[in-house]
Amino acid sequence: MTRDRVKLVLNILALLLLFSILYFFDRYGSPYHVRILNNMGIFITLAVSYNLVNGYCGVLHLGPNAFIAIGAYTSSLLTMSPLEKQMNFIIEPLMWPLSVLQAPFSLSLICGGVAAALFAFLISFPVFRVRGDYLAIVTLGFGEVVRVLCNASQSVTNGPLGLKGLTPHTNLWWSWGIAVLTLILVVRLVNSSYGRAMKAIRDNEPAAMAMGVNPFRHLLMAFLISAFFCGVGGGLLAHLITTISPTLFTFFLTFNLLIIVVVGGLGSTTGAVLGAILFAWGGEALRVVESPMNLGFMTLPGIPGMRMVLFSVILMLVIIFMRRGIMGHREFSWDWILDKLQRKEAELKKP
Amino acid sequence: MPAPFLSPERNMPMFLKIEKLVMQFGGLTAVDSFSLELQPGELVGLIGPNGAGKTTVFNMVTGTYKPSAGKIHWLDQDITGLPVHQITAKGLARTFQNVRLFAEMTVLENVMVSMHITLQASFWKAMLGLPHYRKEERRIRDEALEYLRELGLAHLADEKASSLAYGQQRRLEIARALATKPRLLLLDEPAAGMNPLETKDLAQLVREIRDKYGLTVLLIEHDMKFVMGLCERIKVLDHGITIAEGTPSEIQSNPHVIKAYLGEPKHA
Amino acid sequence: MTSTIFFQQLINAISLGSLYGLVAIGYTMVYGILRLINFAHGDLLMFAAYVAIYMGALTVFPWYLSFPAAILATGILGILLDRAAYRPLRDAPRISLLISAIGASFLMQNLALVIIGGVPKAFPRPEVFDRVITLFDVRIQVLAIYTPIITIILLLGLLFIVYRTKVGKAMRAASKDFETTRLMGINVNAVIAMTFFLGSTLAAAGGLMWAMRFPQVNPFMGVFPGLKAFIAAVVGGIGNIVGAVIGGFILGLGEILIVAFVPQLAQYRDAFAFVILILVLLFRPTGIMGEPITDKS
Repeated sequence: MTRDRVKLVLNILALLLLFSILYFFDRYGSPYHVRILNNMGIFITLAVSYNLVNGYCGVLHLGPNAFIAIGAYTSSLLTMSPLEKQMNFIIEPLMWPLSVLQAPFSLSLICGGVAAALFAFLISFPVFRVRGDYLAIVTLGFGEVVRVLCNASQSVTNGPLGLKGLTPHTNLWWSWGIAVLTLILVVRLVNSSYGRAMKAIRDNEPAAMAMGVNPFRHLLMAFLISAFFCGVGGGLLAHLITTISPTLFTFFLTFNLLIIVVVGGLGSTTGAVLGAILFAWGGEALRVVESPMNLGFMTLPGIPGMRMVLFSVILMLVIIFMRRGIMGHREFSWDWILDKLQRKEAELKKP
Repeated sequence: MPAPFLSPERNMPMFLKIEKLVMQFGGLTAVDSFSLELQPGELVGLIGPNGAGKTTVFNMVTGTYKPSAGKIHWLDQDITGLPVHQITAKGLARTFQNVRLFAEMTVLENVMVSMHITLQASFWKAMLGLPHYRKEERRIRDEALEYLRELGLAHLADEKASSLAYGQQRRLEIARALATKPRLLLLDEPAAGMNPLETKDLAQLVREIRDKYGLTVLLIEHDMKFVMGLCERIKVLDHGITIAEGTPSEIQSNPHVIKAYLGEPKHA
Repeated sequence: MTSTIFFQQLINAISLGSLYGLVAIGYTMVYGILRLINFAHGDLLMFAAYVAIYMGALTVFPWYLSFPAAILATGILGILLDRAAYRPLRDAPRISLLISAIGASFLMQNLALVIIGGVPKAFPRPEVFDRVITLFDVRIQVLAIYTPIITIILLLGLLFIVYRTKVGKAMRAASKDFETTRLMGINVNAVIAMTFFLGSTLAAAGGLMWAMRFPQVNPFMGVFPGLKAFIAAVVGGIGNIVGAVIGGFILGLGEILIVAFVPQLAQYRDAFAFVILILVLLFRPTGIMGEPITDKS
């Protein structure tokens, strides 16, 4: 069997394994486990696409919360029925034509992604005129502006009240299906000539330009693709928690994604996946430190904010002591495993 | 020595024509009224003491700096102030004085980046892994390997660029520049940090690639033996001003040049 | 709008602007020397305010002792911040430094949340600042008049240090080039520590006045003043101390007067600063007073 054939089989086997795990939890898992798994899937989508800009292009973009918010609102407004909308928008009615439009969940996710990408396109010109810390603060600014707009435009977002009672469309198949799809597309992109151009910009922008790479074009490409998948992820998130409001999409959300990609290793998709899994699982596991603890003889009060203290400490420790995170720029690959196995085999055959 | 390479463009009026370039930084004039005409196939050297403005000239020609005044014509087009990547696409490639490789990428990938401008398949074809893209990717990989072979780096294709020895890094820079398929190659101190043997090989290599790819070469170098042995024509800059121009033997006996270099004996 | 209300708003705007300016100085100094947006700078305001509250509540110190103590403590915290979060990353890529700064900011906010809790605390305003005077028929709180005066005095003091003392000379050298500074026999890390100390004390002074102006102290109170002060520093020309203060005035005036003239925009007030930032970066990236910053790498 050729190497490519072997890899294809291994990929199919891995997908089947994932499918059976999801099937098992879908049927027999507790709501608690299902929620964690859903979070994992969505965070994988978000982190992998966020990493495309931060890790592969090497620019620190701090506004994914804006893309997620736009995706979440767009897709929610499309799946709600006109009646639900009327019941939600009590202070100021929803503007036409949003008030009558309705779309199936799948289409609403795509619309969410497209809306986020459109917004990304609009802001790309000021954003990519600058680099470094300035780019970080400009994207953070746009993230803030979107949040302020969500709060202020009553007739579109229902303001601070947010949208309530969304149909919980997101299930394990959706969250992990989109995660796998994002993963395949982003991995193909970063391993392509386009991905090489992005990495070249990251490693040395003047040299990349001298080799004919147009930085704006490639940064924009990464930015738009990243925004699209963040928007789709936002739609999934909205239909998982079924209630959204502007407070959900603060810089805090961006901070969480930043931890995921830094701990996983900026510039490694495998790292982003690992980071997302660790974060979704660890975030839940650490919930105990914030809830009251009963030790039998006494009850310790929960400490709100403790998880964030731990997360910030982890972020700082990783960036100071293991700057490249878990994976560095390395990636998981079957080739690596197969090479190892072959070497073992060869060693065994030796007398 | 006449150029062995004779292209049909030899008789064209204008190949590269630089007219009275001026570059000012704040109040400081780094380059003043620099003019140069190149004919296809020529091998020209640009020399001068440190801080003479040689790299600044390169930076203006390749678009990194926008000249304060003056014009650059390339094949009857005015390319003054165009963005760097567009100038590269028009057939001018360069190497850097302080090596600027893509350190985190492999040797092969470094060259493949330069082939990116020749890519025909759009990004969504790459994302979907369509046959058209895969064919292009194979072509790019094969051609990039070809350039590595040319520069004697093929056996290092899968090494990380930052792990190469210094001389190899310089060669990789040249391979990467060649892969953009230039007609004019600008080499910024290609022999810096090389030992005499490596320098000799390099001179041989520059002649070879010039002939094989039909290139015109403009180079900056401090190693006088290298420049005098290789270049057909030399231009000398000092403090941003052109002080001499001519064949190597003319330059060697030029009193202005001797004076400029005596001011800074370590390069003489 | 009557002229009295306008006058009142103007005083209000000047005092807000001088607060932004005071905080902006710290950003501009640190950026000048490390090319880093010190994300945690805004949280120093919060720290100073809490220290002053607890000093006042737990000891018999009157405000003229507890305020300087809070300012000093914040200055020391600034040095510690550099030591813990930035100094290990001096040779790291810029992106790592910025991520560390974001981490430090979140850490300070959430530590405060864990230790003190999220319920806002009232900030006791000393009587001296609490009086109201009448000036040209307009009733004005004296705090609004003291704020710009204190800012100008502190600014002059800082300018004296930066331009007339040896330490200031070392700071200016270090903001040009570390290598040369080192060759001159100057301890660069000490100079950076001094920069953090000075910037942090000014932030603390700003924080105390901020807390008197909006006497609700909570763990996240530093976030918005911090962001806006940074924008003020960019508007004024990053790296330029006087520019930072001017930028602060522009931002304060703009924010208050726009809302005063067009009240419908009140809910967009927090977005205004970012719009200014984007416009400045688009049309005059070096700011009003700034010279092009050399890329230190």
